[in-house]
Amino acid sequence: MDINDVIGLSLRIGVIVSVILIATGSLLTFVEHGSNGYSVSELLSRTSVVNSSTASFNFIVNSVSQFTGLGLIYLGLVVLIATPVIRVMLSVLYFALDKNLLYTIVTAIVLFNLLIAIFVIPIFVVHN
Amino acid sequence: MLTGLALFLSVLFSSILAGYLGSLTGLGGGTILVPILTLYDGIPIIYATGASLISTISTSSGAASAYIKDRITNVKLGMSLEIATTAGSIVGSLTVAYIYEHHLAYIIYIIFGIVLIGSIYPTITKGKRELPEPKPQDWTTRFFQLYGDYYDSALGKQVNYWGIRWWLGEIIMFFAGFISGLLGIGSGALKVLGMDYAMNLPMKVTTTTSNFMIGVTAATGSSIYWALGYIQPLIAAPTAIGVLLGALIGTKTLVKLKNRRIRTIFTILLGFLGIQMILRGLGIV
Repeated sequence: MDINDVIGLSLRIGVIVSVILIATGSLLTFVEHGSNGYSVSELLSRTSVVNSSTASFNFIVNSVSQFTGLGLIYLGLVVLIATPVIRVMLSVLYFALDKNLLYTIVTAIVLFNLLIAIFVIPIFVVHN
Repeated sequence: MLTGLALFLSVLFSSILAGYLGSLTGLGGGTILVPILTLYDGIPIIYATGASLISTISTSSGAASAYIKDRITNVKLGMSLEIATTAGSIVGSLTVAYIYEHHLAYIIYIIFGIVLIGSIYPTITKGKRELPEPKPQDWTTRFFQLYGDYYDSALGKQVNYWGIRWWLGEIIMFFAGFISGLLGIGSGALKVLGMDYAMNLPMKVTTTTSNFMIGVTAATGSSIYWALGYIQPLIAAPTAIGVLLGALIGTKTLVKLKNRRIRTIFTILLGFLGIQMILRGLGIV
């Protein structure tokens, strides 16, 4: 099994896990007539105030540990975003093992851009 | 006004349709998903673009896992161009944050309309020629190791190819990433255009490599969208599942359907939605 197979497999697992989490979370939200203290109509209306700006790391961890519908959906979406990040990490490893200096640097720059977008920019865009 | 389960199912159905048509035409789901969600499901454009962008990760990753196996995707090419698409996506996402903060959403509708109408051209011309005329290698071909080969089952032969004008490809990819972050779409059409025309690569390589790049580009934009609060979980949920489901159905039926008829219908749809988005932006409808 070479690294391309590992990358392909990790992409597939990421998508499958994320879809299962999102589907389970959605189902749970409807079965329990809401989630995290919100009713279904509060969660699902065009003017809903529930969105990712309130989904902090702590909020997601707490919701998932209480097995709420909203928590599972958020976790599924996080897994979805993390899937390409893992792919890029594996690619850095692949080129490093291949002793291809240029492409180790190239993939490291891509990873750097991704990590800036995930961890640094959010600090500046959220003012309140 | 639909709420609750009815709204969930309405978004799910729209997403399946968008994923299906996007997969049949190779344009991806997002381009027609956002207009359908905003114009017909009444979803605010912020939540529509947020759901669309995150859903492109699932289709891109799902398809990429299959393509990597075929060894047609050029990983080096994709990686080297992702420097520009991720940077472009960061700039695009921050630009759209500025636009919404200053209540200038009409600009997004108009740009979206222009992109929809602009997508008609690659949709019509796509598939006309499989392999480009070989052009002489330049210094970027050698420096960035832009060589590759694959077995083309339709042509029944091994294809050797190389990419040229890496720098021009990089400029177009920055723009593609910018549009992706701005409009919440994969902008696969622009990526294909960049690799096809600027870098002189075979069609199969450009489409699979473009698809490979969309996931990383969209993950960059989605992270910034997340912090900005553009992702509404119960709208993103049916979208992510629906688009993936639609794309899977699309891949299964790809061989059975008459391609030209689908392409014609899709072209008309692109023009129709494009005009509607522009009119909405101008405040006419």
